[in-house]
Amino acid sequence: MFLIAVLAAAVALASIFGSERLSFFDLSDQQRSILFDIRLPRVFLAACVGASLAAAGAGLQALLRNPLAEPYLLGVSNGAALGTMLAFVLFENLEYSRPVMAFAGAAAATFVVYQMAKGRAGMTVERLVLSGVIVTTFLSSVIVLFTSILDAAKLRSFTFWLLGDLSQATKNGAILCLIAAVIGTVVLASQARGLNLMMIGERDALDFGVEVSRVRLLVFGAGALLVGASVAASGSVGYVGLVVPHLVRMATGSDNRSVIPFSAIAGAAFVVLADLVARTAIAPRELPVGAITALIGAPVFIFLLRRN
Amino acid sequence: MAAFILLSTTACSRPAAENADSSAATQLSPSDAVSTRTVTDDIGRQITIPASVRRVISLAPSVTESIFAIGAGDRLVGDTTYCNYPEEAKAVAKVGDTLNPNIETIVALKPDVVFVSGASQLETFTNTLDRNRIAVYVINPESLDEVVESLDRLAEILGTENAAKTLSDKIGRKRVEIGEKVGTYLAEDPSEEAYEKRVGVRRVFVQISREPLFTIGKNSFLNQLIYEAGGKSVTADVDSAFPKLSKETALALDPDVIILSDSPDNQGPSEVFVNSSAVKNKRVYKINADIISRPGPRLIDALEQIAKDLHPEKFHD
Repeated sequence: MFLIAVLAAAVALASIFGSERLSFFDLSDQQRSILFDIRLPRVFLAACVGASLAAAGAGLQALLRNPLAEPYLLGVSNGAALGTMLAFVLFENLEYSRPVMAFAGAAAATFVVYQMAKGRAGMTVERLVLSGVIVTTFLSSVIVLFTSILDAAKLRSFTFWLLGDLSQATKNGAILCLIAAVIGTVVLASQARGLNLMMIGERDALDFGVEVSRVRLLVFGAGALLVGASVAASGSVGYVGLVVPHLVRMATGSDNRSVIPFSAIAGAAFVVLADLVARTAIAPRELPVGAITALIGAPVFIFLLRRN
Repeated sequence: MAAFILLSTTACSRPAAENADSSAATQLSPSDAVSTRTVTDDIGRQITIPASVRRVISLAPSVTESIFAIGAGDRLVGDTTYCNYPEEAKAVAKVGDTLNPNIETIVALKPDVVFVSGASQLETFTNTLDRNRIAVYVINPESLDEVVESLDRLAEILGTENAAKTLSDKIGRKRVEIGEKVGTYLAEDPSEEAYEKRVGVRRVFVQISREPLFTIGKNSFLNQLIYEAGGKSVTADVDSAFPKLSKETALALDPDVIILSDSPDNQGPSEVFVNSSAVKNKRVYKINADIISRPGPRLIDALEQIAKDLHPEKFHD
């Protein structure tokens, strides 16, 4: 309940403040357009992106029993980024090419990591993380290679997007991201019990009748969906998937039945507030939201590390 | 304000340039190559260059355009992959792009002078070039006046003063012509308000990129150019040269005219302008991105086109 109140407060604040001052009791046509066509879709998108990234982070951390697991670490984000980049280059004019390609990229990267991790002796967490790191660095190189041959004009919008940018929010984009966020979070939450048991140990989970490979597939699939949708909409907004689930776990314990939904809500509030700062700090100019989340996220994470 | 600047540049003649002969460079034989002279660049550095400069490299498209415009293109032995104008510039040996020039290629081309456009470029390779006795000259004009002045200084280095004089006179005449049509002159009352009323100043939004929305800000040389063309940039008080602008603010600005810097990602006005005066009155214009981003001799063409876009009724011919 507390978290929902925080999210509501964050959304209210973010709707009230922006680079333009609005007289809420007497909106002119222009102000109405600013509020409904620009500000609210953006706040809404920020919430969806935050929820998606935090829920995906919570799910992957539980699955891999690794507190560092994050969409970035596992190649999912870079897969989505490369997909989006290809959409930039190849299908510039197709409206939904970016989300579709981002999801395809995220799913493809996940699939590759998954296949690489499946050794003869079955899948171990170490193999998974290692495969994730390899795929991540490989995809990073491909992205760097592409950016150096991209022409200057395209490069500029891509670079900005890469830093995390919510200014391209549209109503349709926000709705698409919301659908992905809801489906992904529900799927993850539905696997929470299985994840809880797998956190004790995969053998124990098997003994309790958990279909480990099915849980893995669903969690990975949901992760790819969540990350693909948010990367396509906003680029790379870092640290959300890492920091938010940790904070939630500290507050509520590590039962995934609460960690996953609570992370989604807290992540939404976090990104909404970070984007509020990005929009207003140097208005009428804007900062990349990814820089704000990293500025807050990195110190918080160091603090958490030192405490444990 | 613009009227003042106009008159000061066109009225100014340069007796020194008259005397200097472009053949001075060719009179020197290779054995005289040791004789040197000292010149001062745009950031006040004293630079020693050979008396006769035969081989130069340009690391900025604007400088490349200037060198060709003053008739010294045959002296250019290296330029960047961005240098696409004039056509001959494409055939010059490429030394990389502006941000990543290849130092080995530069040294191998044995230039007398390397022209760079920004002080930031200096640090990367000045030391290496110094060791090879290659002078680095910073040339970075920030207005049409400074462009004209930079042409003169380039000509002084390259010994093509006559061609440069012809060019800067031509630019000066064109400027006066445009100023007369727009109404930049006739300044009985020199105040800004009087100017804006007389000229019928249009409120202009320059869109550099559509998504994300980039425009021009306080530090762009385009502000002054637009003012001279009879307009006023609505984002002239926003910090930095090319700010990413809040869409809320852009919508509230409601410009009369939108100028699109013509590039593949910038083919139409941002959707926030749907209800703006500019879009309603179909006052959206495209302009070649190169001529409004390079402080070179084609800036005069940019001035002319912007003036025509802002005040089509004053340009009948």
